[in-house]
Amino acid sequence: MENVWVLASVWVGLALIATLIAIWFKISTALTEIVVGTVAQLVIGAFFVHAELGGKTGWISFLAGTGAIVLTFLAGAELDPKIFRTKWKEATVIGLVGFFGPFFGCTAIAHYILHWTVRSSWLAGVALSTTSVAVVYAVMLELGFNVTDFGKAVLAACFINDLGTVIALGLIFSPFTIKTLIFVVVSVVVFAILPVLTPRFFKKYGGRVSEVEAKYLLFLLFAMGGLAVWSGSEAVLPAYIIGMVLAGSVGKDHILIRRLRTLTFGLLTPFYFIRAGSFVSVPALIAAPLVFVVLFFAKMLSKIIPLFPTVKAFDYQKEEGLYFTLMMSTGLTFGTISALFGLNHGVITQAQYSYLVATVIGSAVVPTMIANAWFMPRHLLGTKREEKSTLSQAMSENAN
Amino acid sequence: MTGQRHNTHFRKLLVGYDGSPQSEKAVDIAFTLAKCLDATVLIFAVARPPEPATSVELEAVLDDAKEHFEEGFKKILEKARSLDVEVKTDMAVGHPAEQIIHRAETDGVDLIILGRRGRSRIARMMLGSVSERALRYAHCPVMVVH
Repeated sequence: MENVWVLASVWVGLALIATLIAIWFKISTALTEIVVGTVAQLVIGAFFVHAELGGKTGWISFLAGTGAIVLTFLAGAELDPKIFRTKWKEATVIGLVGFFGPFFGCTAIAHYILHWTVRSSWLAGVALSTTSVAVVYAVMLELGFNVTDFGKAVLAACFINDLGTVIALGLIFSPFTIKTLIFVVVSVVVFAILPVLTPRFFKKYGGRVSEVEAKYLLFLLFAMGGLAVWSGSEAVLPAYIIGMVLAGSVGKDHILIRRLRTLTFGLLTPFYFIRAGSFVSVPALIAAPLVFVVLFFAKMLSKIIPLFPTVKAFDYQKEEGLYFTLMMSTGLTFGTISALFGLNHGVITQAQYSYLVATVIGSAVVPTMIANAWFMPRHLLGTKREEKSTLSQAMSENAN
Repeated sequence: MTGQRHNTHFRKLLVGYDGSPQSEKAVDIAFTLAKCLDATVLIFAVARPPEPATSVELEAVLDDAKEHFEEGFKKILEKARSLDVEVKTDMAVGHPAEQIIHRAETDGVDLIILGRRGRSRIARMMLGSVSERALRYAHCPVMVVH
């Protein structure tokens, strides 16, 4: 499709459809955009042989890439440094276990059971090692755990888990050369300077109609992203860390964050998620559905098995620990970013990409679907258990 | 009023509020009942995160919901003042049915009043009906306003 405006209208039209579906069914927009992208490519492919949605077009790739970078930055900026400082020990241990468990577990299963190549298996490990800060935070708010020590540790651990994913993605697949060293050194200096420089710069030049803050941040993200790609790494790696180091300053500027969100959700992320969905091959998924099942259980089990005892070791109650473990078993944004990185760099095939994205979506959707289908208020579940145990206690007492 | 002195059943009313015309209607009915029964009213709104919640979008949804509900609460409080009804407002995050049922139980609410949204069958299947779930699980009577 050569006409840029026609192609743009198709993509934004798809984004509009995805948003309406998200509003009607209270589903995450990211999820509906991925699904709409997949369906749109399937329909176009079925009606027009060899036709594509245009996901590889230069300007679409740029908008999608920018979407991933800004989204990752905003995700990093959601970190609460105070919470992290108070709970850093638990957060670091639990976060690292939450990362390394599925990272090694899924890599091993992809390699030894699915017979993927070594590089493809590592990519599978990275894509499935992620967690979702948002899912955890939503459940925390729901249960009122967000103000407890337990809740704070959980949230901080999720950031460490995702940091592990982003670092692994940024460093594993790049050849270690002098460029890598330059990237690491420059990054360390920039990350150290930014928390001091940024608030001063914003104080002096910020708060104007010309949106100096947004331009400053985009410049930083593009420049560090460019350096990362030059060194063979991934642009989302510096974006996430920049978000984290600026969480205490930029992250607290509610108005700026809202403006960046408008830019991100209104224009950038629809291109990112629809593009990610358009590369999913439905025929590949139908041809070997067992691969999806294997990866899904690999992700769930390799998270739960090492995490549960770790959480228990920090003296959290059994029920809290189980919640913690289950909640850390999902992750949509970084999962798709990792899979797309693998596809773009030829680390995985389109079929493998499709399985990974399906697994990432499955791990996010299946627990929600189960919860909705067999709805029962959580506090009543506890009551039922208590009643049951009291009843069985009474019965055993009677028997005695 | 004699009704006020003898009312021992419905002292605390909870209205599930989401800003829809049906929930506004539920608020009006609650105020009428509260006036007759000398009861207090809790206007309770629940921000439902998108499922599955994703980074950044969740915060955006919660911010919007907070603004939206606070605006609605202002109008409700003005109305309550003019009718001389004792009213409180509060907000929670989560599944609306779950949060309403839980709050009603912890606050010892005597009657839950909800507006029926009249969602399509598909939407009901996907999201579940808040009023149906409240009717099934709540510890107290539930009034559903059409």
